[in-house]
This record gives sequence, structure tokens and C-alpha cells, in this order.
Amino acid sequence: MRLRGRGGIALGVGIAVMAVLPLVVKNAFAVDICIRILLFAFIGTAWNLLGGYAKQLSLGHAAFFGLGAYTSTLLQIDFGISPWIGMAAGGVVGMLASLPIGWLCFRLRGPYFAIATIATAQVLMLIFLKFRDFAWGAEGTTIPNLGNAPLMMQFDGKAPYYYIVLCLLALALAITAWVERSRIGYYLVAIGEDEDAAEAIGIDVPRVKRNIYMISSFLTALAGTFYTQYIYFIDPQTAFNFSVSIEAALVSIVGGIGTLWGPLIGTILLETTSALLQSWLGNSIGGVQLTVYSLILMAVILWKPTGIMGYVSELTRRRRGKAAGS
Amino acid sequence: MADALVVRNLNKRFGGLRAVQDVEFTVRENETLALIGPNGAGKTTAFNLIMGFHRPDSGSVSAFGREMVGLRPHDVCAHGLARTFQVAKPFGGMTVLDNVMTGAFLRERGPKAAREKAREAIDFVGLSSRESTAARDLTTIDQRRLEMARALATQPRLLLLDEVMAGLNPAEVDQAVALVGKLSSRGLTIVIVEHLMRAIMAVAKHIVVLDHGQKIAEGSPKEIVENPEVIRAYLGSGYAQSAGAAT
Repeated sequence: MRLRGRGGIALGVGIAVMAVLPLVVKNAFAVDICIRILLFAFIGTAWNLLGGYAKQLSLGHAAFFGLGAYTSTLLQIDFGISPWIGMAAGGVVGMLASLPIGWLCFRLRGPYFAIATIATAQVLMLIFLKFRDFAWGAEGTTIPNLGNAPLMMQFDGKAPYYYIVLCLLALALAITAWVERSRIGYYLVAIGEDEDAAEAIGIDVPRVKRNIYMISSFLTALAGTFYTQYIYFIDPQTAFNFSVSIEAALVSIVGGIGTLWGPLIGTILLETTSALLQSWLGNSIGGVQLTVYSLILMAVILWKPTGIMGYVSELTRRRRGKAAGS
Repeated sequence: MADALVVRNLNKRFGGLRAVQDVEFTVRENETLALIGPNGAGKTTAFNLIMGFHRPDSGSVSAFGREMVGLRPHDVCAHGLARTFQVAKPFGGMTVLDNVMTGAFLRERGPKAAREKAREAIDFVGLSSRESTAARDLTTIDQRRLEMARALATQPRLLLLDEVMAGLNPAEVDQAVALVGKLSSRGLTIVIVEHLMRAIMAVAKHIVVLDHGQKIAEGSPKEIVENPEVIRAYLGSGYAQSAGAAT
């Protein structure tokens, strides 16, 4: 009980800090890093619903990120539709795309599933690269700069972007918190543990997987629209970049898969490390910061395969065990 | 009494192996039926066919008057059939309570009601003191208990137990026998696959013997232990003599 009270306070403080951060921090580079952290925490949280709770290791979430980005951009440039609406439309497109992709990939389990999802994202990237008449091909396009146009999701400073992505993250966390407490959450974890046992106690495994994949894809597509609006540019390499898929899985794995806060904590750790390494080592021998980054990553995964959150809950359990024993 | 489970002409081939051939049996409501036979006789395959994990090549499985063939396992479960696995499949990372709650969610949508039902089932199998233990940290018998509790939480009418006593010590077997008896007295229909004749004699009034996928005998425990073909295929002549000496 006391722990929960303390957790509540920590949450309150965290929200307050997040809310005032751009008012205090004026350095554009720092705000940019914060936006990236929130964005990848958001994608990671979306990924975590499927990859963490149900342990369906998707490495193809870039597919939905890209579809979201292209949907809103096409709607905006070809039809003048606001990216706010485009964002929702992109979410729906991502969600619908998850149906055939899931239909194909969920036949496979474990690493085979992961490989199949990689392939779907790659195929989508190739489609957008090769069919030039459809969406600008390999050159991509810039988003027309309209100055400060909130209705078109364009702003002067970086702070508004920060708040948008903060809201997206809050949405994903709220959905996750709800899922965790409800029947679906139990079903997802059961599926992740043993699909046959899950079926045997009445869980419609394919249906549960499909539904959570739809939610996860919807959210990931929203991130795609946001990112494109933020950087004013889109091309297939950016939109369907494999590193988006990897990052989504990685931040969750490092932070702790199947936990509410895992992806956020993982992103803060990884993005901060990467940014700091970049500024410290970026000017020395090329690529050295990536090497150090990878070494840190390997250390974390070897040392605590359950992620930071797994380590934290282990600590609290131990402390509770001691308290109960004395 | 009405028929709970009627299996007719059940057939299943795996490549060249006829795993189950024209197997037929009927389980009446509230009866405990034991399915016995040597390893590879097709007992677990029969379970998998009944529960929808495999689709039979031909034949029918009707539970409480409804055809089960063609349904997927979760549908079969929703019709009131629950099973345990030969090798226990607990959700290892979940606590005992969460494991059983997951089963209870089939009939209870809300977490509170599901938790209540789960506690009942946990209490029934005698695992209450382990409620917040992670399933993977349980002993073998407790994992079997957990499987039973999780199956019970789905509120079945028919329970299929696949070798729940394998690997237990004699004292634990007695506990397991008592538990099966308790389930039966609660009105459940039970089909049990087991190797341990001592346990079977204690729980089942009706035995079906499989060998090489075929039914070779059916009857009361007494008829079975005296059946020459069962002795040849499964029990061995030593069993017949010791059983004869005991009576």
C-alpha cells in the first residue's frame, strides 16, 4: 500500500515535470531530444502491447509507421486535408493493414513470425520506392511549410510538437494500463506463455492476437504522421526504415517487455545514452559512438534480460520478502 | 443418466501411423471413465481429437448432445469441456492466482468476479497457500493442481485429465486420488488417462483399454484386470497374479 502511494506521488511528479519541461528548457536541441524520446516511447508502448504482453516479436512495425506517414501526407498534398484528420485516417489504414499482415504472419511462431514481419515492412518500402506515380518514389517530398498553422499541424516552435507527442504517449499508456487490468491483458500474457494452454481454457488465440495487433498498428501509424509533420519530409527510406521497427522492440526489451512503464524507461535510457555518446564521441573516429552504444546494449540485455522494470520488480519483491520475514 | 460424451468411429492417421482406429466409447454424466493402455496406444491423441487440438479423419465426438468435431479448442472449452496436459503447461511467469483467473475469465468478464471464482478453484485443489507464487516455482504436484484449478475455473461439466499422477510419490498419488474423487462428487464427469492401476482402481468404475490405437477392452475394473487380452497387451501376467493374490 505504501509503495502504491509512493508510486502515485512519483507519477504525479513525473507528469508535472513532463508538462512544464518545454517552458523551462529553451535549448532547441534538448527539446528535440525530448520529442524523440517521447516519440519512441510512444512507438515502443504501442509495440509492447503485441510484442511485450503477448510476446509476438514483431520486427515490422515500420510498416504501420510508414503507412500512417504516407496516408496523412498524400491526403494533405493531393487533397489539402489537414494532417489532424490524416493522422486518424492513417491510424485506420495501419489498423486495416494489420489484418492481412497478421493473417499471413500469425501462422508462424517465434523467430519465423519476426522474420515474416520484417519482410512485410520491406515489401511496403519497395512498393513506395518503385511506384513513382503513386507517391513521389525514392526522392520523397517535403511537406509545404505554411508557417504557424496549428490546424495543419504546423507550428513555429518545438514546444507544440512536444505536447502532441506527449498526449500520444499518454494515450498509449492509458490504453496499456486498461489492457493490463482487464481480461484482455490476462489473455495476452497467457498467449505469450503457451498458446495451446491458452486455447484449452477457452481463449480464441487468433482473435485476441488480431485485435491487439490492430490496436498496436493503429497507434504506430499515428506516430508516422506525427514524425513526418515534425521533420517536414517523407520518403520511403525514412517512413519504412528498419530502424523504426528495431527501436520499437529494443526500447521495450531494455526497459522491460510486458510492463506499463518499460518502453518509456527503455527509451529514456537508450536515447539519452545515444545523444550523450554522440556529443562526446561524435567528432572522434567515425562510428565509435555506435560501437559504444551497442556494447552498452549488449551489457544490459546480458545482465538483465527482463529489462530495467524486471530488475526493479525483483528488487521490490526481495525487499517485501525481507519485510514479511522480519 | 444422460450421456455426457459419445465418441463414435474415431479415426486419426499421422502419415503411415494409425494413431486412433475406430475408437468408440460413451461416458455417462457424473461418471469417471479411465482410458488406459501402453505408451503410444493413442490415449493422448484421443484427448486431442476430443478437445479439437487435432481434427479426426473421420468419426464423431458429441458432448452433451453437441457435435465437437470441427470446433477449435476454445470453442470446445466454451461448451463445457476442459483438460489438463500430460506435461503441465502452466503460464510460468504468472502467479497461481493469475493463472486460474485467466481460466475464470471464460465465464466471468470482470476481474473481480473472475478473481472470486479463481480463489474458489484454488481453494478446491488445496493451493491457497501458494496463491501469489509464480507458477514456474511450483513443485510437480502443485503444477498439476494448478492445471486442475485453471481447468475448473472455466466451469466445465466434463474434465479430461491427462496423466495427472505421473511422477508423483505414493503419498501425493493418494492426495491426487482424493482430489479426483472430490471433483466427481461435485457432479463433474471425468475422463482420466493414467498408467497407475492402483489409482485407476480407486477412481474409475468404467475402464476403456486402448492398444495400437484400437479399443481392445471395456468394462468394470474387475473385468479389465481379468481380461486376458488386456493382460497380454498392457498389464502383464505379473499384475494378474498379484491382483489375484490380493483378492
